Amino acid sequence: MSFRSKITQFQSLIALFILCVLISLLSDKFLTVNNGWNVLRQISVNIVISVGMTLVVLTAGIDLSVGSVLALSGAITAGLLKNGISIPSLNLFIGFSLLGAILAGLIIGSLSGFFSGFTITRFKIPPFVATLAMLTIARGLTMLYTEGFPISELGENFAFFGTGWFLGIPVPVWISGLVILITVLMTQKTRLGRYIYAIGGNENAARLSGININKVKIFVYSVAGMLAAIGGILVTSRLDSAQPNAGISYELDAIAAVVIGGTSLSGGKGTIMGTVLGAIIIGVLNNGLVLLDVSPFWQQVVKGMVILVAVIIDKQNSEK
Amino acid sequence: MNKLLKNGLGLLILGVVAYNSVYFKKLDEVKKGNSKNTLDTKVYANSFYQEKILTNTDKAIAINKLTDKLKANPDETFKQYAHSLGIGNIRYFLVKATGKITKINENTLDFDVDGKPYSIATEFIFGNAVRDASGIITMTTFENTMDFNNVSAELNEIIRNRVVPDLKKKATLGSQISLIGAVELNHKHLKLNEIEIVPVFLSDK
Repeated sequence: MSFRSKITQFQSLIALFILCVLISLLSDKFLTVNNGWNVLRQISVNIVISVGMTLVVLTAGIDLSVGSVLALSGAITAGLLKNGISIPSLNLFIGFSLLGAILAGLIIGSLSGFFSGFTITRFKIPPFVATLAMLTIARGLTMLYTEGFPISELGENFAFFGTGWFLGIPVPVWISGLVILITVLMTQKTRLGRYIYAIGGNENAARLSGININKVKIFVYSVAGMLAAIGGILVTSRLDSAQPNAGISYELDAIAAVVIGGTSLSGGKGTIMGTVLGAIIIGVLNNGLVLLDVSPFWQQVVKGMVILVAVIIDKQNSEK
Repeated sequence: MNKLLKNGLGLLILGVVAYNSVYFKKLDEVKKGNSKNTLDTKVYANSFYQEKILTNTDKAIAINKLTDKLKANPDETFKQYAHSLGIGNIRYFLVKATGKITKINENTLDFDVDGKPYSIATEFIFGNAVRDASGIITMTTFENTMDFNNVSAELNEIIRNRVVPDLKKKATLGSQISLIGAVELNHKHLKLNEIEIVPVFLSDK
């Protein structure tokens, strides 16, 4: 392996290292244990969503609805936990335990993803359009369900998922770690993982080799929806409040993490660990810009530039 | 047989999860239980105003003394006299003042206290100054933030409906007014020439 190809292989890691060195030179608050946990806690949600996005992008698709699905799932979980379901005509109240509310949130997320996957495969709608429609539908449903108001005061047990610690590590970090482990094993060690890469690499060849493409795609979008729901539960738990406008533009951060992590937007190439690195780079960049007191407007410009540079590098590498 | 066992096990797990996920009650009972726990914020605010705020007015600092201290040592003055429930820069002070009405504006009264100008709010009574300035209310007393915020709104309503009309009646040009009030100041961006007092109680002296 040549020196250039070695550099290419580890470019995200090198970028992260350079970024950390630069920020730690400019701010003495960066390399502290507290700040480290803060960054990890903050990026946990993006990691969970980005992992789902990676699976979708590996099949040459895109999911623009994850931010809205995150808000919808968070709202449903919070609403069921706090208010349950009242059916006045039957004089019946259905209450939800913590487990029940979380499961309901996850089911809603998965169903949203399933719906996107179904419309993409059944009606041959481009993923961009189908998930854009789901973005609007999920946001509208969130507004309808919450009537535009936050749902707050969800209890200490629920807050544990977003703010708690287990064995000295924040719970969101454990959850994102578990998500990474399962998806890495799925993509690298199972037949399903190979199907996902095959579909993204060459869909026609995959179909001819007997892979049920529609089934795999629907599964991937459902998983992305479920992971967005996990993100929604983490955000809601952390804030102790389900905000109707939660998750706005989260899909862009997720796509940025996927691209910076080296996953090709044309599908078939990329890794979960690359995306995790991408999410860490975005998290460290965000944290560094805040520590250096850079204006939020400039932060967006810098983030956009980094994504642009990452895509250019990716394109140049793939052309070589 | 193997498939039957698998399906059976799956159904059993599903049953256990469902059993631990939802519970059913009569809607009437739930509503009855909820109404017992509902705080009447109007009643609470009224008794809080009468029994807590009005009986703690001796803690108020003379407004001129406050501004002098703020000029000399703002950090220490904020530490000693300010109250706040949040972590931001906004802090509240309970003040007392006796002075002359020098101008009657649409929304405020210009108020001169021994040569120092202030204004008294008469129209826009909003925010948490009345609730928080006394420093005797805490969030932990309430089950939720909505009740806590509603108490603040009800206190403002008391000021609007009881204190302000009385103040407007007494506040003729050149008249002498004594009051207890609440003042909101920004610790980081302190502006001592724009102090507005929210009237809390009109005193006789």
